[in-house]
Amino acid sequence: MTTPPPEASDDADTRLDQLVGLVVALASGNLGARMEPSPANDRIDAVTVGLTMLAEELQVLTEDMELRVAERTRQVADAHRQLERLALYDQLTGLANRTLLTARLDRAVARAERRGGPPAVLVLDLDGFKVVNDSFGHGVGDLLLIEVADRLRGIVRDIDTVARLGGDEFAVVISHATLDQVVEVATRIQQALARPVQAGAQQCWVGTSIGIRLAEPNLSAETLLRDADTAMYVAKGRGRGGIEFFESAMHATALRRVRVAEELRAAIADGQLQMRYQPIVELSGGRIAGVEALVRWQHPVRGLLTPDQFISVAEDTGLVVPLDAWVLDTAIAQAAKWRSTVLGTSDFGMHVNISPLELRSPAFADDVLERLGRSGAVAGDLMLEVTETQLMGEDAQTARALEKLRAAGVGVAIDDFGSGYSSMGYMRRQFVDVIKIDRSLIAELDSDPQQHRVAAAILGLVDAFGLTAVAEGVETPAQAARLHALGCRFGQGFLWGRPVRARTMTDLLRRSIDAPGGRVQRPVRPGTGRSSTMPGSSAGGRGP
Amino acid sequence: MEDAERERAVTLRVEHGGYVRCDWRRGTRITGELARAAIKRLDELADGRKRPLLVDMRGTASLTREGRQAFAEECSASRIALLGESAVDRVIANFTLSVIVMAMPTRYFTSEPAALAWLIGDDAPA
Repeated sequence: MTTPPPEASDDADTRLDQLVGLVVALASGNLGARMEPSPANDRIDAVTVGLTMLAEELQVLTEDMELRVAERTRQVADAHRQLERLALYDQLTGLANRTLLTARLDRAVARAERRGGPPAVLVLDLDGFKVVNDSFGHGVGDLLLIEVADRLRGIVRDIDTVARLGGDEFAVVISHATLDQVVEVATRIQQALARPVQAGAQQCWVGTSIGIRLAEPNLSAETLLRDADTAMYVAKGRGRGGIEFFESAMHATALRRVRVAEELRAAIADGQLQMRYQPIVELSGGRIAGVEALVRWQHPVRGLLTPDQFISVAEDTGLVVPLDAWVLDTAIAQAAKWRSTVLGTSDFGMHVNISPLELRSPAFADDVLERLGRSGAVAGDLMLEVTETQLMGEDAQTARALEKLRAAGVGVAIDDFGSGYSSMGYMRRQFVDVIKIDRSLIAELDSDPQQHRVAAAILGLVDAFGLTAVAEGVETPAQAARLHALGCRFGQGFLWGRPVRARTMTDLLRRSIDAPGGRVQRPVRPGTGRSSTMPGSSAGGRGP
Repeated sequence: MEDAERERAVTLRVEHGGYVRCDWRRGTRITGELARAAIKRLDELADGRKRPLLVDMRGTASLTREGRQAFAEECSASRIALLGESAVDRVIANFTLSVIVMAMPTRYFTSEPAALAWLIGDDAPA
């Protein structure tokens, strides 16, 4: 081994010192530290070069790792934001959902004492949304909801919350609100939603009913929302476009309705429903030309209940579907039975009331025809009664269903004509056969000249459109006589009897048919089962 | 870097026996640019064929990461013998061969005859 000259030894020491410095720099995280090898190209340089190459690789790996970590962090944050949106916001409108609204409402109640008063919650439900959805499809319905959401956002302050609770139900939380502010917001919401909405190619009109609950200490968001919802249903029940503040009595009513719904569900299954039939009578001669089927509920505690005591609950809870099914089946089966045992070939109409929910069901017409086929009843013996209000906002679906039924021979009557808008337009509709004139127009007929003139005008119009009129709520012989004199052919009311059981009605029908002139036989048009020369009409007209 | 400077740093020629010899000037710091220029020249000399390559890296100062990456690319070399002598050469060669996956068989030698024998002689891989 040779000893290096002193200057070479100094140089080596210097480079070793530099190498130590490089190691320290790298160890402290400075991965960009480098050291150039010397021209000596010796073992110190070998270590220097090796260390430099290791540092280069480490630096690249670290930078790559940092980039990946940053990218992953961003992805995780994005996913978190997306999850939060899914969990807390309504996907269609971008509004808060029930979960977020509940959380904010709870927070607003908790902060109320410290910051300027309790919040208020408004629950609103769109009036007429279902008609839009059924008529124009869900696409248009969705656009409508988005526009409604935008309008609601535009009304409230930044500190308030607008949420979509589901379907066409929205809620607004107004932070530390005064009574005046709440009323103002509710009024502005109604004004904003009263303007027509352009949803795609369709222009739609909806309104809203609003229920309001002012928060009180220690009440949970769930309770406040439930109460506002209850108030909203009260508002809705009092007519479209109402605003109601929650009162504790409402809660008791709501509870009662829930109980009625539960009992009705059991009643339908347990056979507590009964049918009554009220005669519809030909004014000249008194022949029973048809009956109206009226459902009753034999309640185990409350006794016999009439529809006004349970129909609205049935409609709100969807129980109206099995209820209507029972009514249709029972009435159609009874019509078939009477046709084969009592009626012979006599003209007859079994009038059955149809709920709006049923009428808009896509399968409604086929369902009715299937029930007729199953029971062996004649289609021409069935007359479906729909109210004026049901036909308001009438959609293509309803028109198609009624057309299909009429083509098969089933008749259509407008019920309670004169109690609502009484548009002449309904008479002109191709799918109407009979107009039932509301009892409110009959009541004062024999004492009020004005009423007399109105009834005369309506009967004139009914006749002009080639339709048949049935006067409802006839109670006195004088009313019947006047109606007859005005050209009305049929009447219904206590004058001829209250609704009775099938057995009693069978006897009445038998007596009516056996009476002189009672067996009114008409040739039946092939294929339709409809009489061709019915009272008050030319071709296509029909009995009551 | 000027062309002349590049040419001074490395020379390549086809040798008798059909292999290409690549001589790096002593003290050269082999960068990505120099490595790519050498490979380009190799491809020109190989004239579309794959040829064995002897790389005389004796006395090179260092090889940058970019340079190491460039040598990993597919080129006209069918196999490569790296010829070195110093500890620096050994570190550079062995580090490079361990951190990058070469596209062709590559070995480090400190003896030129041994390198040529592996490259083109009877010991050459089939």
